[in-house]
Amino acid sequence: MKAAAAPFSRGRRAALGLALPLAALAAWELSARYGTVPDYLIAPSRILAATWEMVLSGELWRHTADSLLRAIGGYAIGGAAGVAMGLLAGIARPVERFYDPIVSLTYPVPKIVVLPILIAWLGAGDASKIAVITAAVFYPTFINALYGAKGVNRLFVWSARNMGAAPLQVFAKVILPASLPQVLTGLRIGLALAFIVTVAAELQNSRSGLGYLIADAENSLRFDLMYAAIIAIGVIGFAGDRVLVALRRRALAGQTLGKEGAHG
Amino acid sequence: MAAGAMRESGFGTLGGAGGALLEVRDLEKTFRRGARTVQAIDRFSLTVSEGEFVAIVGPSGCGKSTFLHILGGFEPHDGGTMLLNGAPVRGPGPDRGMLFQEFALYPWRSVIGNVAWALEVQGKPKAERIAIAERYLKLVGLSQFRDAYPAELSGGMKQRVALARVLAFEPRILLMDEPFGALDAQTRELMQEELNAIWQQTRNTVLFVTHDIDEAIYLADRVIVFTARPGRLKDEIRVKLERPRRIDVKKTAAYMGYRNRVWDSLREEVLKAREEFR
Repeated sequence: MKAAAAPFSRGRRAALGLALPLAALAAWELSARYGTVPDYLIAPSRILAATWEMVLSGELWRHTADSLLRAIGGYAIGGAAGVAMGLLAGIARPVERFYDPIVSLTYPVPKIVVLPILIAWLGAGDASKIAVITAAVFYPTFINALYGAKGVNRLFVWSARNMGAAPLQVFAKVILPASLPQVLTGLRIGLALAFIVTVAAELQNSRSGLGYLIADAENSLRFDLMYAAIIAIGVIGFAGDRVLVALRRRALAGQTLGKEGAHG
Repeated sequence: MAAGAMRESGFGTLGGAGGALLEVRDLEKTFRRGARTVQAIDRFSLTVSEGEFVAIVGPSGCGKSTFLHILGGFEPHDGGTMLLNGAPVRGPGPDRGMLFQEFALYPWRSVIGNVAWALEVQGKPKAERIAIAERYLKLVGLSQFRDAYPAELSGGMKQRVALARVLAFEPRILLMDEPFGALDAQTRELMQEELNAIWQQTRNTVLFVTHDIDEAIYLADRVIVFTARPGRLKDEIRVKLERPRRIDVKKTAAYMGYRNRVWDSLREEVLKAREEFR
C-alpha cells in the first residue's frame, strides 16, 4: 500500500539479520582450520561437503522423507483435533469445562516421556512416533483455538445475529475468521513442536529418520554426518514455517493491515 | 412529520405513516452480581411512531444502553412488554438494526463485503446484494472505498460503513447505541450532519442513545431524559425545529431554549449519578 515506512529497505533488513550468523560461521571456520578446537567442532566447509555427499548418495533424502512422514502425519492429526476441539470449547462452556482439568494437568508434561508407553502399546514403528507427535501438536493448537474463539469481539457476534444469521452461519462466517489469527499462531507453534518431537522420538528409538541419523553419527563419531542431519532439520523447519507464514498472510488479508505490513 | 410518506428516494420501504411502531410498557431490568442485585431499569415505557427520530439521553450508567440491548434482543429483561409493530420482541432479528459505538465491522471483509454480508445472510442472490450494497455505500458517500478494508478507514468512515450495512437490510427501526461516541469532536459534528442528511432521505424510525445533548436535539424529533440508576423516564421534550435542519440551527434561540431545557432536566441526574460513585 504505502512505501516502506521502515528505516531500512528490504535488502538491508535481510542483510542485518544475516550479519550475526555469517560472522559466527566465519569465526567457526577460521578457528576450526587454524585454531585448536575439539574434534566435534568440524569446519563448516567440511560439514557442507558431507551434506552434499549424502544428498548425492540419496541417504539424506531417505531419512528426511521418513522424518517428514512422521512429522506431517502427527501434525495433521494433532492440529486438526486441536483446532476443532479448541474452537468447540471456545464457544461452548460445558465443552471447555470438560477439557480444562485434563489439559491444564497434562500440558506442562513433555510429551516425549510417554513414548515408551506408546511403544509398548503401538509397537516401535511409525504409529507410536506419530502418536507422540500428535499429542505434542494438540496442546498449542487446542489452547490457541480455544482462546481465539473465546476472545471473539462480542459485537461481531451480536451484529451477525442482528442481521438474522443462524448459529451455524455465525460460527462459520464470524467466529471462524475472527479466531483465525490465533488459530494460525497455534498451528505455527505446533509445527515447530512437531519437528522437535519427531527428532526427539527418532533419537530415542528408531532405525530411520534424521533423529536416527544424528544418533547413529554420534555413536560412530562421524560428527560431519551429525551436522548434516542437523542442517537438514533446520532447513525443513524453516521452510515449513515460511509456508505457514505465507498462508497466514493470504488468509488474513485485511486483518493484519497496518500490523505487520502484510499489505506492503 | 409526514413519516414514511417520502419514499421517492428509493431507500427502505417501511410503509404506514405515523402509527405506533414500537411500544414499550413497564420495562424492568435487574442485574445480579453474586448476591447483590442492581436495578438497571425501572418501569420504563416508551412509544415510538413510524418515521420518528427519538433520542435518549441520560447520565452514564443509567441503563440507556442496556435498554437498547434489550430491545435488540441481546439481553433478557425481567418484566414489562415490548411490541414492535404489534408483535412481541423476542431475540435478535433483522427487523431492528443495531449500530454500535465500536462499529463492529468485520476486519476480514472489504467495505462492500461488510455491507453485502447482511444481505447474504438473508439469502439474497449475489448480483442483487452487490447492487443494494453499492446503493447504500453511495448514500453514505463511500463508493470509492468499496474495496478497502476497515483497517484502512478513519473512525468516521467506519461508522458510515456500519450505517450503510445496517440500512442495507432495511430494518423497521434503527437502534443506535452512542454511534458517534468513539469519534473525535470534529468528526462527530460532521457525522451528525451526515446522518441528518441521510435520514432526510430514508426517513427511518430511529432510537438514538447518546450522552451528548447537542447531538440529541439536533437530530431528534423527541428527546427522552433518563434518570440516574435505576433508569426511569425523567422527562420528554419535543423538538419542534424545522426540517431539514442545517447545522447553524444550533445557533438559534429556539435551539438554545431546548438545550437549556434538556440540560436542566439532565443536570440533576448527572449529579445524582456522581454521588453514587463517592
